[in-house]
Amino acid sequence: MKTITKEILREAATKLMFKLTEEELDQLVKEFDIIVKQMELIGEIPGVDEVEPMTFPFECAVNYLREDVATKPVDRDEILKNAKDVVDGQIRLPKVVG
Amino acid sequence: MKYLSKSITEIHNALLNNEVTPLELVKAAIELAKNDTSNAFEYICEKEALEKVNNLDPNLKDSLFYGVPVVIKDNFSTKDIPTCGSSNILNGYVPIFSSEVVLRLEKAGAIIIGKTTLDELAMGGRGTTGHKGITYNPWDKSHTHLIGGSSCGSAAAISAGIVPFAIGSDTGDSVRKPANNAGLVGLKPTWGRISRFGLFPFATSLDHVAYFTRNVVDSAIALNVLAGRDDKDASSSFKEVEDYTKGIDDSIKDKKIAVIKEIVNSVSDKDVIKAFNDSVEGLRKAGAIVEEVSMDIKLLKAIYPTYIIISCAEATSNNANLDGIKFGAREPGESFEEVMINTRTKGFSTLIKRRFVIGSYSLLRENADELFIRAQKCRRLIVNAFTEVLKEYDAIYCPAAPGVAPLISGSGESLSDEYLIADNYLAFANMSGMPSITLPIGFKGGLPFGANLTSKIFDESNLLNIAYNLEKVTGLKDLVAKEEK
Repeated sequence: MKTITKEILREAATKLMFKLTEEELDQLVKEFDIIVKQMELIGEIPGVDEVEPMTFPFECAVNYLREDVATKPVDRDEILKNAKDVVDGQIRLPKVVG
Repeated sequence: MKYLSKSITEIHNALLNNEVTPLELVKAAIELAKNDTSNAFEYICEKEALEKVNNLDPNLKDSLFYGVPVVIKDNFSTKDIPTCGSSNILNGYVPIFSSEVVLRLEKAGAIIIGKTTLDELAMGGRGTTGHKGITYNPWDKSHTHLIGGSSCGSAAAISAGIVPFAIGSDTGDSVRKPANNAGLVGLKPTWGRISRFGLFPFATSLDHVAYFTRNVVDSAIALNVLAGRDDKDASSSFKEVEDYTKGIDDSIKDKKIAVIKEIVNSVSDKDVIKAFNDSVEGLRKAGAIVEEVSMDIKLLKAIYPTYIIISCAEATSNNANLDGIKFGAREPGESFEEVMINTRTKGFSTLIKRRFVIGSYSLLRENADELFIRAQKCRRLIVNAFTEVLKEYDAIYCPAAPGVAPLISGSGESLSDEYLIADNYLAFANMSGMPSITLPIGFKGGLPFGANLTSKIFDESNLLNIAYNLEKVTGLKDLVAKEEK
């Protein structure tokens, strides 16, 4: 595992599309210190790496396929009601090509 | 208005006997909500509720929820009613559809009078991180103790006597912990028992719809309305829905209940332990076989970090759609990337951003084996251990928390057994999907505290039967925090 530095955390935040202040980064480094210690507790559990990862609470085979019935989709104007800048039924964003 | 402090059945009977009308109930609840001093509400649905109650279908009057005012945590979509998850990033968002639980409640005749505050996007356990600030505990007039979260506003609204029923969500203990702090019954049924359609996803493999009532029978009544398959939620179960009130008052003679020794030992408050031991004796007198069972303390200490890693990792992707472009508050920028970055930087609070970074970091290829994948493996060991106990027993019974609601000024973070186990073990029921219920067992310094029962998956009838008998043992039901005169 990489050593946790402010730089690594800043990079992670950039990938998540937000910025962190220096104060937030300092707090995060401290928080990671606790998390890493807590995760070390997990590493000490005998047999932890010998089981399969569990992704859902219990095995529930989903073999369900709905009937292919035509339904009326949600109206476009309804969906666009929540967008802040709409022109001619489309969401307007800053120009990509100059 | 005395009725709003009553049980759902008592309100129903009062309506049938024409002692009160749905309109009077709704108006009174709205008035109380307007005068709420706990910061329980994101939005009071005055106009919408009055319109609904005036058009209430009289054919529904045999439904126990007919004309009953209820509140909904603000991370459930409500058509044409603002829903922001107590986050600035969703300020101004108005859903164009309603969540399944809202539809089912309305179909049963319930009237939604308000959307309640939460820890931002349900990511927090203290009821302090929503964009409207701290939500207070109605039992504590000095406003120094937490109500807990993330379903803080729902817990506050019902314990203040504004409504007899409140919807919440529970990803780690977000209904069952505030229930401890507010003297309420908090039920999280089996994963898949209630549709999650329309609930803002936080951690998909752990999220559950859950709710508050003031007694166990009301909890069963609500499950009858809410449980059942919904094609709009692929994870909702096809399993048959029972009448959960049937047999609720049966004897618990010979039912086997396990008390996990290490969880009880991690609680240091002697008053909590005394009340808990008294309740165990009461269950024995009622005929149950209550036995102490031992569990690997390392596994119990691993529940919280396992939960944090999995929930933060899942939250990172579940909230990637919050960019201000399609919906929600939008910040200006020179490019679409800048719009997203500015929106997310300003829209999320510092706690949420930190949680997303923890999740993202855990998922990085070079870290995943030691963080995310290891947490998922540990989850299996934790679930196996509790499942093993429930092969022999009908339920697991332990204190729900280390004590009464903690101080708002406390930090809550530590590596102690009390914090890692007593304060955070309830997440095992989210990892396993097991139905789990918290109910009050005592008071200390004027504040309530509770205990928790958890049973096998889809065994809600059995769980509610044991909980009902426990409620009879403690005599603590229909608790409402009264305003000081």
